[in-house]
Amino acid sequence: MSNFNKHETIISAGIDIGTSTTKLIISRFSLRNVAGATHVPRIEITDKEILYKSPVFRTPLQDAVTIDVAGVQQIIRTEYEKAGIQPSQIETGAVIITGETATKRNASEMLHQLSDEAGDFLVATAGPDLEGIIAAKGSGSYESSGKSGQVIANIDIGGGTANIAVFKDKQLLGTCTMHIGGRLIEFEHGKVRTISPSVERLLQDQGYTLQVGDPKNASAVSFVTTYMAEAMARILKKEVQAQDRVLLLGHEPNWLQPIDTIVFSGGISECMYHHTSGEVQIARYDDIGMQLAEALLQNTSLQHFTWQEPVETVRATVLGAGTQTTEISGATIQIAPHELPLKNIPIYQYDFGENLEIGFSRFEDAVQQAVTLYDSAKEGQNFALYLSNLPYLGFRDVQRLAKAIVQIMNERPRPEQPIILVIQSDHAKVIGQTLAALQVKQSIICIDQINVETGDYIDIGNALTSGVVPVVVKTLTFHTT
Amino acid sequence: MNEDLIQQITKMVVEKLEAASSNQTIQQQPTNEQKVELFSRRPIGQLEVETVKKLPSGAVVFHSTTEGPKRNISTVKPKPTTAYGNSKSKPQEDLEEDKLAEYRKKTPARIGVGRAGSRPKTKTWLQFRLDHAAAVDAVYGEVRDDLLEQLGLFQVQSKVSDKEEYIRRPDLGRKLSDEARALIQERCKKSPVVQIVASNGLSAKAIEENLEDVYLSLQQSLNNLNIDMGTTFYVDKGRVAVMDDIGELLQPDVVVMLIGERPGLVSAESLSAYICYKPRHGTIEADRMVISNIHKGGIPPVEAGAFLGTVIQKILKYEASGVSLVQKEG
Repeated sequence: MSNFNKHETIISAGIDIGTSTTKLIISRFSLRNVAGATHVPRIEITDKEILYKSPVFRTPLQDAVTIDVAGVQQIIRTEYEKAGIQPSQIETGAVIITGETATKRNASEMLHQLSDEAGDFLVATAGPDLEGIIAAKGSGSYESSGKSGQVIANIDIGGGTANIAVFKDKQLLGTCTMHIGGRLIEFEHGKVRTISPSVERLLQDQGYTLQVGDPKNASAVSFVTTYMAEAMARILKKEVQAQDRVLLLGHEPNWLQPIDTIVFSGGISECMYHHTSGEVQIARYDDIGMQLAEALLQNTSLQHFTWQEPVETVRATVLGAGTQTTEISGATIQIAPHELPLKNIPIYQYDFGENLEIGFSRFEDAVQQAVTLYDSAKEGQNFALYLSNLPYLGFRDVQRLAKAIVQIMNERPRPEQPIILVIQSDHAKVIGQTLAALQVKQSIICIDQINVETGDYIDIGNALTSGVVPVVVKTLTFHTT
Repeated sequence: MNEDLIQQITKMVVEKLEAASSNQTIQQQPTNEQKVELFSRRPIGQLEVETVKKLPSGAVVFHSTTEGPKRNISTVKPKPTTAYGNSKSKPQEDLEEDKLAEYRKKTPARIGVGRAGSRPKTKTWLQFRLDHAAAVDAVYGEVRDDLLEQLGLFQVQSKVSDKEEYIRRPDLGRKLSDEARALIQERCKKSPVVQIVASNGLSAKAIEENLEDVYLSLQQSLNNLNIDMGTTFYVDKGRVAVMDDIGELLQPDVVVMLIGERPGLVSAESLSAYICYKPRHGTIEADRMVISNIHKGGIPPVEAGAFLGTVIQKILKYEASGVSLVQKEG
């Protein structure tokens, strides 16, 4: 039976596997009932304490497009040991595969292996948008956007990509990802060793030539870094030119308000601010990283913005992954403990638009559309139905809703699968109980007070002592080039 | 005068003002309002320490407030067009208005409502009067009989004869009348596990708005948990501790009392569920527990009912409620 008043702690792991570097963070969350004694309990994370920060490792690769899974596992195993943590102790957290690594051939295979090996915790892969958001949370930009009232752009530049996330008052205004990173040109013994395809296209467009074996100080190299800084300034101002498109990864900048302040995080930001200069460097780089940092610092167009130093540089993403991805469900929920944890459940949002009648009139389509979206081959990929904007519900309305839910859920290709519901408002307990009263044969997972939308995936962790479940909301979009 | 009429007119005025303000938000100039320095930081008035003059003992001395050195009235006057209001840039003002709007969204309290001189605006003041009237109505209102019939509840009286007495004599509200005792003996199942009781308490409106949803949801929850329920009834003009009388009569393990809360200016229809393990004469208040704030704008009634079931399950497991439950739970 759940005890709401006990102080509880859970261990969270964050692992960031980037284009250039891999790092890990172990932290401990304190959970408490923050509602008054006469209220329905509300469990929240009240404190986050970082127990262990790993050094920054070079990401092990087998070849240019294949991650060395065994190598990554080895790093994680030894770091767990150093932190004094058993995989079984970890109850939540996220693995983030970022930047160009996410396009590597075996990224999704590695995710599955890691989630089995690295502890029974929740795994998230970042699409470029989520990655930028997580970095902004780790670098402190998200937090400070809530205080200054300014429009803040966090620009996380690692080895392969620059992820821009724009916030104001802790609201996400937009994102953009660019092919700007330290490892897009690599050197060896003073000569060019590799050139990434996006840089090659850029050089071609601009009429420069650079080949493997050319000297490190070729004019084309400094052209690339200068151009990247210029393009960055144009993207931030939303003055995208045709020739910049080659550096865009995915959509164009989509924020509407002009940016006031910029914050650089990620490995390139470390080259600017040297937060970890006292630490022993495990990874060594021989690439355009330093030059790129220099080009950004020198660029006059970027000086139009206010610059703000990040709280974390190279570890912004891993900090965000380890400490900012876990949400806690409402305290009054209905769950079937034997079905948990559930991983990679796609969300289908159904909006009632504050009107029960209109909501019910199209309710049957919800399952059809969810199945079309996530299980077009009818192989039995289950989904979570997210009910948003429900109007005020009386008991009779709840009964009607529960019956409708059972009816549409029985129309799934495999109706015997658990019924997974995420309710925006505080109604999970009563809806779950009403389903139980209807004696439905499926298991019921009904949680509330989590904000998601169609296209998101969620992981639901094991129930904690206080009866709540940790939830990680994520997007699994692997971008292809 | 007709009270309904007054209320109707007040309501109309409030609505009209609301409609007007929503159409003319641009013309309003809230930007200057918050920034006027109303009170001078310098002390004003008589600055010397007043010494008590020697007077015959027993004489009362009044310190002058209206006469004496003349106050500098001009420091008190609002000056809406001084540099104080203009020096700030437009975005900064928008920002503050945004912030206020954000705060207003988070609380039903009357914050950031502006003012007219040193008083609230007419709209705010009328809204306040309306809410106050609703609170008074909630106390003096009666629960409709058909609601109780619909839920199959019979009605009994406490020892209180009318509302005035109910307010003056809380002790009488904690006792069942002799007729009530007889009726309960006759109609109720003895020694149930859970006895549910409803009472208007200080807000009949709370019962009208929320009883059905909380009760049906709680009933379903107890059914699901296989917890036995007694015969539910309604106590008119009851107080929370009337459950002790009921406990003695029916000997239930747990009493759940759904009672209207003292109405406030935010909500006049808030319901509380008081729960106690084996309430009997002499039960101490620390053994009662409560889930409060059950209404449309608080805990949804249907969810509260579902949650109450699990609270009762816990009370039965530990055979304790209130502070004793917290102690036993560890």
